[in-house]
Amino acid sequence: MNRKAVCWIGAIAFAAFVGGCSSNSSNTGQEQPAASSAKKTVDMSTVGSVSGTIKLDGAAPKYKAINMSADPYCVKANHGGVMPQEVVTGDGGTLANVVVYVKSGAEDYSFPTPTDSVTLDQKGCMYTPHVVALMVGQQLSVVNSDDTTHNIHPTPTDNREWNKSQPPKAPAITDTFARPEVAIPVKCNVHPWMKSYIAVMANPFYAVTDKDGKFELKNLPPGTYTIEAWQEKYGTQDQSVTIGAKEAKSGVDFTFKAGS
Amino acid sequence: MPELQPDDPIKSRSYANVILIAIFILLLCVSWSFYQEFIGLRPWRSYQSRFATSYSAYLQKQVRDRQAQEKTVESSADYQKLSAALQQAEATATPQDQQIKVQSDLVDAQRAAILHAFQEDRSRVGSLIYDYETIPNDAANRSDKQSGLKAVQEAEKKTYSIDWPEEGGKTVTKTFNYDQLNNTFNQLLDEKAQLTAKQGDIDKPVKDAQTAMAALIANKLPGLDADQLNGLLKSVRDMDVSLIQINVNPPGTQINDIGGVGLTDRCQSCHVGMEPKYVPAALTLTKADLGLQKSTDAPFTSHPDQDLFNWHPLDQFGCSPCHGGNGRALDSVELAHGRYEHWVWPLYYPENYQAGCQQCHSADAWTEHAPVLNEAKVLYRDRGCIGCHNYAGFDNQGEQLQETIREIASLEKEKADDNQQIPLLNKQGDQAPDNATAQRLYAQATNLTVSVSKIDGRVQQLDELSHSLQQEVKRVGPDLKEVRMKLNPEWIPYWLGHTWNFDPTAQMPQFRLQPDEVQAISAFIWQQGLKGPALDKQTPGDAAHGKELFNSLGCLACHSIGEGSQKIGGDIADNLSREGEKANYNYIVRWIHNPRVRTEPYCPFEHKDIGPEDYAKHNLPYVFDADHSKCPNDGHELVVQQQTIMPDFRLSWQEARDIASFLMTQKDASARYEPASFVNNAKLYDKGRTLVEHYGCAGCHEISGLEDASKIGTDLTQEGSKPIGRFDFALLYTKAQEGVLPDGQKSRAGGWYDPKGFFDAKLADPAVFDEGKYKPDPLDRLRMPKPNVTPEQINALTSFLLGSTQSTLPPSYQYAPTDQRKAIQEGWWIVTKYNCIGCHQIDIGQKTVLMGLPQYQGDNAINLPPVLTSEGARVNPEWLKGFLANPALSTTDTDRDGVRSYLKVRMPTFFLSDDEIRKLVLFFGALSSQQQPFIPEKLAPLTDTERALARGIFTSPAAPCLKCHATGNANHDKNATAPNFLLAGQRLRAPWTERWITEPATIIPGTAMPSGLFVQQNGRWVFNGALPAAAKNYAGDEANLLVRYLMELTPQEQAALAGSTPSAAKSGSSSVKK
Amino acid sequence: MFGDWHQLWVIISTPDNIPIVAMLGLVPFFTWFAFHNMLANDRLIAQLEADPELARTHHRTTYPYSSRWERELHTNPFLMRKELLAAIIITIILMVWALTLNAPLEEPANASVTMNPAKAPWYFLGLQEMLEYFDPWIAGVIVPTLIIVGLMAIPYIDANPLGNGYYTYHQRRHAVWTFLIGFEAIWLVLVCIGTFIRGPGFMWYWPTQTWDPDRVEFNVNRNLDQIFGVDGHWFSHILPASWHLDPAIVARALFGIIPMLVYGVLAALFIHWICKRTAYSRKIYSKMSILQTVTMYIFLITMLFVPVTIFLRLVFRIKYIWETPWFSI
Repeated sequence: MNRKAVCWIGAIAFAAFVGGCSSNSSNTGQEQPAASSAKKTVDMSTVGSVSGTIKLDGAAPKYKAINMSADPYCVKANHGGVMPQEVVTGDGGTLANVVVYVKSGAEDYSFPTPTDSVTLDQKGCMYTPHVVALMVGQQLSVVNSDDTTHNIHPTPTDNREWNKSQPPKAPAITDTFARPEVAIPVKCNVHPWMKSYIAVMANPFYAVTDKDGKFELKNLPPGTYTIEAWQEKYGTQDQSVTIGAKEAKSGVDFTFKAGS
Repeated sequence: MPELQPDDPIKSRSYANVILIAIFILLLCVSWSFYQEFIGLRPWRSYQSRFATSYSAYLQKQVRDRQAQEKTVESSADYQKLSAALQQAEATATPQDQQIKVQSDLVDAQRAAILHAFQEDRSRVGSLIYDYETIPNDAANRSDKQSGLKAVQEAEKKTYSIDWPEEGGKTVTKTFNYDQLNNTFNQLLDEKAQLTAKQGDIDKPVKDAQTAMAALIANKLPGLDADQLNGLLKSVRDMDVSLIQINVNPPGTQINDIGGVGLTDRCQSCHVGMEPKYVPAALTLTKADLGLQKSTDAPFTSHPDQDLFNWHPLDQFGCSPCHGGNGRALDSVELAHGRYEHWVWPLYYPENYQAGCQQCHSADAWTEHAPVLNEAKVLYRDRGCIGCHNYAGFDNQGEQLQETIREIASLEKEKADDNQQIPLLNKQGDQAPDNATAQRLYAQATNLTVSVSKIDGRVQQLDELSHSLQQEVKRVGPDLKEVRMKLNPEWIPYWLGHTWNFDPTAQMPQFRLQPDEVQAISAFIWQQGLKGPALDKQTPGDAAHGKELFNSLGCLACHSIGEGSQKIGGDIADNLSREGEKANYNYIVRWIHNPRVRTEPYCPFEHKDIGPEDYAKHNLPYVFDADHSKCPNDGHELVVQQQTIMPDFRLSWQEARDIASFLMTQKDASARYEPASFVNNAKLYDKGRTLVEHYGCAGCHEISGLEDASKIGTDLTQEGSKPIGRFDFALLYTKAQEGVLPDGQKSRAGGWYDPKGFFDAKLADPAVFDEGKYKPDPLDRLRMPKPNVTPEQINALTSFLLGSTQSTLPPSYQYAPTDQRKAIQEGWWIVTKYNCIGCHQIDIGQKTVLMGLPQYQGDNAINLPPVLTSEGARVNPEWLKGFLANPALSTTDTDRDGVRSYLKVRMPTFFLSDDEIRKLVLFFGALSSQQQPFIPEKLAPLTDTERALARGIFTSPAAPCLKCHATGNANHDKNATAPNFLLAGQRLRAPWTERWITEPATIIPGTAMPSGLFVQQNGRWVFNGALPAAAKNYAGDEANLLVRYLMELTPQEQAALAGSTPSAAKSGSSSVKK
Repeated sequence: MFGDWHQLWVIISTPDNIPIVAMLGLVPFFTWFAFHNMLANDRLIAQLEADPELARTHHRTTYPYSSRWERELHTNPFLMRKELLAAIIITIILMVWALTLNAPLEEPANASVTMNPAKAPWYFLGLQEMLEYFDPWIAGVIVPTLIIVGLMAIPYIDANPLGNGYYTYHQRRHAVWTFLIGFEAIWLVLVCIGTFIRGPGFMWYWPTQTWDPDRVEFNVNRNLDQIFGVDGHWFSHILPASWHLDPAIVARALFGIIPMLVYGVLAALFIHWICKRTAYSRKIYSKMSILQTVTMYIFLITMLFVPVTIFLRLVFRIKYIWETPWFSI
């Protein structure tokens, strides 16, 4: 093998090496944004809000009072009986217990997990509130104000299932949910009628309507969002909303059809 | 210049003679080779022809005898009667038969006559009808249709003229048209059928008579009849001398073969008597039968135990797998029997044949048809072989226990790992990129939690098992921790030095000990014994009463008493004739009262005895027994009982004292013991310990500090297939090969340089292989002690060892049943372990120790413990569980036998582990092939009338039930000889009870229960005695009725019938309820 | 214990040993036969050389002879009949052998059991026997190689033109003696020892001495250097410590060379003396090239070394003459 050939080979090898390096570097360059998990934080100076009302179109279904005779304490606990809270309407057909939240559009933001805990009380053999919403990782604390033993049994699809019993005067049961889910049904196997929902949210832009059906999502950075309203019986509706900086958009209303 | 030779040596030389001689020799060789080919190497030919001659002679004789017998039978009265009946029947039948025959012949003739015409006409008309039908039915073809129809009608009108046979052979010519042919033909068929039926009716009596005749002959002359014998004779006469071979080749077989060829046995080529073709099972040939008693070389007898072939079909097992030998070889007896250097599986000597069974039945404790083997296995345990020599699967509760503990540990680890894993999975789930993954991970976590809980379940089971196993571990020898409480120190050295002088039937072998060794061992044992707490002082008891108890309770099933020819009783425990010389009264009292009582429990985990202080530390009461068997320190299973099989007879302290006092009187007045002050000499301690470890005393005895000593002997599981070179014949090597026995005699079997020879010599005197060896240090000598065994027992053990091989048979031949027989297999281990067979007859025909005792001869046999051959069918397994756990069937009133309180001999409490109880219950069930799990039979409740009737039977003088059966009322039961009916409800099973009260003798021959209380009347049992008129119109089965009555018998009822106060009975029943 | 004739019979009658037993008779016979012919030829040669006249008319290589005898004979029958006879006799022998002795089959091999004595097939017993006297490397590798190479070398060494195609002793004394010593006196004797003398533990059992697997034997075989007490302590002064050598070993290795050299020289002189003894051999060997001569000497020396060692071992219990860390002789 003569000297020339050696040179050639050397040259080719070097070129290949350099090429390899350069291509690598270029790749990493492209990946940069995707790879980095750094998310934007909300800039409080530009935030706006969205508000509206939830209505029920048509007559709310008629319910019979719950028969609590299974547990005498419960009967005693609330005289006159209670209604199921599946559909609760205010005057003018405003709809309560509806979870309104930003379904998409806020993925690029990171939000601190709230430190305060959301409380789900068991009073008079009913869950109060009927629907609670909290953020991923936020603490849920379940208390038992009754003189009878309850058990709290969330039956999620995406989250971990658990089932704990809580005797009267027992310390609050606390737990967190790791994955956004709307909404996790909660039941009490001792009192079959007891039912509640836990909405686990990916972002802090959510609200649960009251009897007046009003909601407001505050501190929304400008942008376009899909806002969804969830009701345990009538399912979900959503609409897309775009807000500018410091804009307070109102009248983002949802109307569920009775009987739908 | 040499003178010239006249002629050419090469040319002139003649080779004629040389070549002639050479060729002659060559021819000789050729003829020699022919001889070898046809006779020399084919000895079986001559055997076969010899067999043929002598056997056919025998058969001829048989035939003659048989014919003679048949003659005599034919001349006998009832045969005459039958034959007369037969003839008579035939006489009546024949004429009718003939008549019928005539008729049916006629019918046949007529049928034949018209058959042809009928068939032809039918087909012809058939075809026309078809044509007609297939013509389309419309205007176009109307004319054709009609013509077709016409054709058919005409065809039907067409007539045939037939010469028609009639009675009396004459024939007339008849004409038939289509319809007539049809009708006549069918009608003929009917007639024929009727005639046949009629004939059947007529012949029936004849047939019956014939069957009756056959039955008579069969029962008067069993076995092969003349014709069959003649058939055999013929087959033997023209039997061609040829090689007979069995060839089995199951896949992967290795039956004593070289190169996976499988089993090829040609044994029958000489042992022609084993060939079913010539000697069917019904025939058994002995040498005498063939007139060859004298001959030492006549291998023609048939197999002595034909039953074996039911489970070991000849065509699958052949001979050599069981008997050894070279099944292929034919050249000579020596080669065929594999009695030469290079055959690894030589034929077992006749006295060791049962070694063959052991090859596959090593998992059995008790193999039917193998008494020698069974004896050997009992010996292996009771002579303490097992103490030093491990044998796979033989009383290995110890190893099982270790195994279990190990398994628990590993499971615990697994559980811990899972418990670590679960939160990890959940965490991963929480952080999973998408819900699907999250759900999968959560699911995994959940599944893990489930499997963890399953592990918990398994561990729980294992804990129980280890509890059981800990209880099941037994030792052959007594607990030497309590030596100080039990023995006189003077006695120990004497015993060690002169074991068999003190007790010629001792289980303990005789060790070769020097006096100083004896002293050292005694000292170590003594100083190692528990120092306290002191035993309660016992007042002397009534020896006379004690003796009576001793003789009647059943002690003699295991223990023996009396010396020499006076000796009676069993051999699995020691002889008590000189108990008084060695033992301490207080200890014996405690022992008899409950032999399982330990002074202190032992913790295998901490390797120490747990004293009261340990319990106090955890402020627990100092209570330890089967129910409180956890170590207070670490919760491990304790040894809470003496590791003896001796059971608790639930005696009162007074009774215990009486028996103890009796035993203390058992001594040899002339015996003198030197003082043994040295036992307290601490200097001897270390030497003693060394010796005790060296001689493996801890294999049989429990000794402080050596509880977990491992076995010092060789593992004997596969001793039988050890290469001969591995047996150390030492200086006897040449003697063995020349067949000179150690004692200088010439060995009967010639050379004994084989495993059998080694085992025989070793068992007879283990020291023999030290002969002529220079071993100044005693510790260098062979340490195996001399076992106390008779020549027969030596032979049994040798057979056992010879059979303990690494079997070359395929697994499918190993006896490892998975069905009920498994339960039987396991059960026998327990049964033999606790010597149940010392008192109870469990295997049909098996003899118990008690049967042999003088006090149970003749009428006294009624006092024997119950026979258990049908226990599984008799009792409710649920009940049996309770009974085995607590034979008193009571927690309050325990000084009695729960079922047979009337018997002097008593079922003691063995403190069986739950596992053993489970196995035993299954065992008895399986023995009587009962289904598991047990579902009790449903019994229809009695109606009042039925109850009245049953009561009538129950109290009838023809069935004086309560005469013998106990009622629980003391003064009634004084002379009761049968169990209390109140137990029946929980205890017995209706189907068995019914069989029992109808024909007990078939279940337990010689029982006191009378047979014939009921008689079969057209398919139902009817009471065999006077009954109230009401009974007449009772259609049901009265035996069944009585059983149902007994099953729901109440104390009050029984008491009323027995005419006594029910109080006692009540207590009985209430205790039963427990 | 002697006088165990049964033992001897067992050894002799073992099918495996039959060839050697036969050899005991056959080898002497053929040796005798060979000599018988050689000497006959030599006489003829002598006569012919003495009488050229006769040589001219003479035919056939047999002695005595007659001129009236035919010059040539037909193969048939004069050769054929002999061959026929031979064929018949061989057949008889084979038949008797086949009829009387079975194939020496034994039990299935068991890896955990070695037979005692463990002997090689008879044709290797010589080598196995040699392992008793040499270290395995020499006995197992060197010697066999030398044997083969030596056999191959013979035609190239042989400078003697005479004695081709007829038996002769005088013309080939050295060849004959080399064969007799090398093959019969050494090789075959080793084979016979291995067969009849070696018993359990490959120990030495005289004929009719009972074989006893438990026999214990005490014998010390010492190296020559040990006999001479060579421990190398005096040597350690000379040996530079920097070489890190064990003076004892070095001493032994060096010491061993001496007797080897001595032997080599003696053996060479002995061979030389033989070669130069007669005028005839002097004539032959003078034809040989130096290479041929050296090769021949080397092989002959080596060959003779075997009996010497055996002798030293059996008589003086000398293990190795020359011991080095790599090989021992």
